[in-house]
Amino acid sequence: MIASSAIAAEWTRLIGTRLWCWALLAALGSGAFTGLLALVGPENFTPPMPGLDTAQGVHVLLGLLGFTMFIPALLGTAAVTTEYRHRTITTTALFAPQRSTWLVAKLVTYTGGGLAYGLIASTVAAGALFGAAALKDVTLGLPAGTVVALLARIALAMALYTLLGAAAGAILRNQVTALVAVGAYLYMIETLLMLMPGVKAVYPYLPGGATAALTGFTYLADAIADQTGTSATALLSAPLGAAVLLGYALIAAAIAVAAPLRRDIT
Amino acid sequence: MSVEVRGLTKAFGPVSAVTDLSFEVGDGTVTGFLGPNGAGKTTTMRMMLGLIAPNSGTATIDGRRYADLPRPSATVGAVLDGSGFHPDHTALHHLRVYARMGRYGNARATQVAELTGVSSFADRATRTLSTGMRQRLSLATALLGDPRVLLLDEPSNGLDPEGIAWLRTFLRDLAAEGRTILVSSHVLSEIGQTADHVVVIRQGRLVATGPTSELSGAAAVLVRSPQADQLRSHLRVPADVLGPDTLRIHGMTTAEVATAAAAHGIALYEITLERPTLEQAFLNLIGDDQ
Repeated sequence: MIASSAIAAEWTRLIGTRLWCWALLAALGSGAFTGLLALVGPENFTPPMPGLDTAQGVHVLLGLLGFTMFIPALLGTAAVTTEYRHRTITTTALFAPQRSTWLVAKLVTYTGGGLAYGLIASTVAAGALFGAAALKDVTLGLPAGTVVALLARIALAMALYTLLGAAAGAILRNQVTALVAVGAYLYMIETLLMLMPGVKAVYPYLPGGATAALTGFTYLADAIADQTGTSATALLSAPLGAAVLLGYALIAAAIAVAAPLRRDIT
Repeated sequence: MSVEVRGLTKAFGPVSAVTDLSFEVGDGTVTGFLGPNGAGKTTTMRMMLGLIAPNSGTATIDGRRYADLPRPSATVGAVLDGSGFHPDHTALHHLRVYARMGRYGNARATQVAELTGVSSFADRATRTLSTGMRQRLSLATALLGDPRVLLLDEPSNGLDPEGIAWLRTFLRDLAAEGRTILVSSHVLSEIGQTADHVVVIRQGRLVATGPTSELSGAAAVLVRSPQADQLRSHLRVPADVLGPDTLRIHGMTTAEVATAAAAHGIALYEITLERPTLEQAFLNLIGDDQ
């Protein structure tokens, strides 16, 4: 009962900010962007890629949508750190002295928001993808059911990324530091790690590898395999990838909940 | 509902902020919490509210620690220096977030907005609010749970004279409803008239505590006379010489001074009762620092 009022409060807090407008725009935009790319056709990319009528071509397009995963993660980070940045944390801690209460409420709220983000982005992308295929009069290289399932997996991954981002924000607290850290990890650090010999073996278990397994987008792994002249690392199965990703998110959330309990709010 | 602070101690690294501080805020009283900037007032109040963990000592409200109260925000309301608002939120939306968190409902948010005058800017984003408006919004937030105890940290900081006058009346009304109020300040003018008791700290330690009237000490008589020296020799108590024709006399009433002057045919141009202000008593207590 207390938890539900805390979640309701967090939701009220969220919808009173402009962040959710930006989130909605980003979700619509990234979905629409996928549609635009479908309309252009992967065969017209530089370098050209397999067309929409091939399984690989559809995978590439959906993978590009998966590439925007950092957006909900950063939105989650921003949503949590805003409390520290604008110093509302004092009032929040006064209304809910059990700090785990509001932190869990925040993480639940933003994960829900992340899922909504993912569903919006996926739905728009689905509409655009099928629309583009119909317009261009090509048959998609993957059955509709598979495409929808892949999009659902992307939406799920987006929700988990939002949770990861939110938890990272709760741990680091400083908005700029947290945004830079999350962005840098997703964009650079993991890619760099993969260039190190040996790390490739554990790649399936890193967040990026687990994400690739969940979303079915192996472009990065394949590209690195190409460049290093080695064989691509076998990824986990999609459910296992989801489980690993969920594990990371839960560990981050647990640290986020445990860490602030011992901190002074000055 | 009384508030008790016992042996509260807190150091931030090598810097001790509060040392073995004990005092009590009596049920239904208004207590001024005084001390120069950096004396440890904010740290003490944050420890009382469980925001900062003390190294030792306890702070209890109605016998319990803040976090152990059944409904903390319905028992204690706090306005703390340095708490903020989300700049996108309107004033009313801010109140609604916390009304929801405390389960008080939207109607209560509207009610406290009216009570504190927030309703006149309820739909404005908090980023556009003046210091006075923000202070009212903080007070409104603190009052959401209709708490019996109020802890106010420098509530008059940054307010203009009009705002200070409003705050004074508002606090007086809250006190008249029987609430227990602890209000901190480094400026005494707005506390001296409202507080029944004062707690004075300096460098994190208790300097003085007691009823406001006792702290300020006894009144003196100020006289101006062309024969000041002569008058001084006829008084039964010592007098301070403030100028060639001005004396400050301690321990006699105006009537006694006037009678003594008349008995010796000494002309008085001016005779006034000088009530020591709390400000003076306060400055005497903390004098070493400022």
